[in-house]
Amino acid sequence: MDPSIYAAMTASIESVINTALRYDPASLQKIAGISGVLAIHSTRPALTLYCCGSSDGVRIATHCESPVATQLSGSPVALIALLKKPTTLANSGVELTGSVGLLQRWQAILNELDIDWEDATSTVLGDVAGPLTAKTILGGLNWTRQQSAEQTRLLKEYITEELRVTPSKPELKIFNDAVSAIKMDAERLQARFSQLLDTDNLNARRSSEHNQKDNSE
Amino acid sequence: MSSKEQPDVKVDNNEASEASQKTHFGFEEVRTEDKAERVAGVFHSVASKYDLMNDLMSGGVHRLWKRFTIEISGVRPGHKVLDIAGGTGDLAYKFSKLVGDGGQVILSDINSSMLNVGRDRLIDRGVNNNVQYAQLDAQSLPFVDDTFDCITIAFGLRNVTDKDLALRSILRVLKPGGRLLVLEFSKPQNSLLEKVYDQYSFRLLPFMGKLITNDADSYRYLAESIRMHPDQETLKNMMDEAGFTNTEFYNMTGGVVALHKGIKP
Repeated sequence: MDPSIYAAMTASIESVINTALRYDPASLQKIAGISGVLAIHSTRPALTLYCCGSSDGVRIATHCESPVATQLSGSPVALIALLKKPTTLANSGVELTGSVGLLQRWQAILNELDIDWEDATSTVLGDVAGPLTAKTILGGLNWTRQQSAEQTRLLKEYITEELRVTPSKPELKIFNDAVSAIKMDAERLQARFSQLLDTDNLNARRSSEHNQKDNSE
Repeated sequence: MSSKEQPDVKVDNNEASEASQKTHFGFEEVRTEDKAERVAGVFHSVASKYDLMNDLMSGGVHRLWKRFTIEISGVRPGHKVLDIAGGTGDLAYKFSKLVGDGGQVILSDINSSMLNVGRDRLIDRGVNNNVQYAQLDAQSLPFVDDTFDCITIAFGLRNVTDKDLALRSILRVLKPGGRLLVLEFSKPQNSLLEKVYDQYSFRLLPFMGKLITNDADSYRYLAESIRMHPDQETLKNMMDEAGFTNTEFYNMTGGVVALHKGIKP
């Protein structure tokens, strides 16, 4: 693809991130202190973005001559999901190579990100409309997030309790416990049976030896 | 968009001795000594509105071309960088951030008006710790051998009188392993794009120049000088002949602009 298109893409991403970071000076300061290149590799489409910290915020490029300290590799969906919930890489579909420390630093910054949206909107809309707009937008986002969680919970309940398509968690636990108990009992029975067989074989061998001794005498 | 470096352009661009009498000022043939003055006039004329015209003429895409150049430069903290034909200092500003306090950037241009604009602009943006300014000719760089880690010349090489001499001069002052990046207008790789580009360059560009700077002739010259510049492969060969290794080029925006890279062995 034309390098100008990649340059436009990275410039846009960088601009959005750094504009937002201007309203969180603490995070900006932490990012400036980060050394080392984080490569984010998308498997399909094949594209690698190189991120590093600078005094101006995050620097993003499609070419990097410096050695890469950490690389995250995965599908775009998996990488975005990781960005939304950056707690664990297990079963995330994202592969990590290189230094974990650098990733943890980025992760900590992401978790502690606290952008002053009121300040950001005040710059554009003024001191009265700005904070109001920010509060309305943030309130709306929180409400959407809560509603989304609530809808997920209700859907789960409907599927398990009303439709009875899937078992509920407690039912599944009881079933799993019962299966485990049967498995343990079966193993114990097998062990007991083996022990009895061994004892029987031993007695038979002793009896045979005793008979042979008697016959020889 | 273009440059400000040494104002003379030759058709064959190699044989300075043969072309010492006549040379090209865009498509026009002029005496060599006259052309220097005339091209200097072009850049004195456009210097004050150079940035505005760049943005208008390229739709802001020149920033993306320069951004890609920065990415390819591989410049790191502590490096020494020379920006030839640096004009209004777009590249020098970025380089000053990359090299940090331990590095050094020299913003240079042969045209004093362009250099003044660049210097004022960088000072206004708070850059005063690691950038120095020099009015110089790319054909005879006033630095000792093996000085720079990276040298860039953006939209400037096509205006240099003897490009081969300039390339050799650049090679001399680069450190071994250092790289030269030449960002310059080139030949579109698609015939349809080439036709559109021609119409744009020769009709719209002078019109915009007339409208913004009241100087259509300067922008007509810029369009003509672009056509006289060597295409991608020719420039790559010139860099090879000058002594650079691992030379390669990247076409951008369909070949309207190309970034050539060469390493000093």
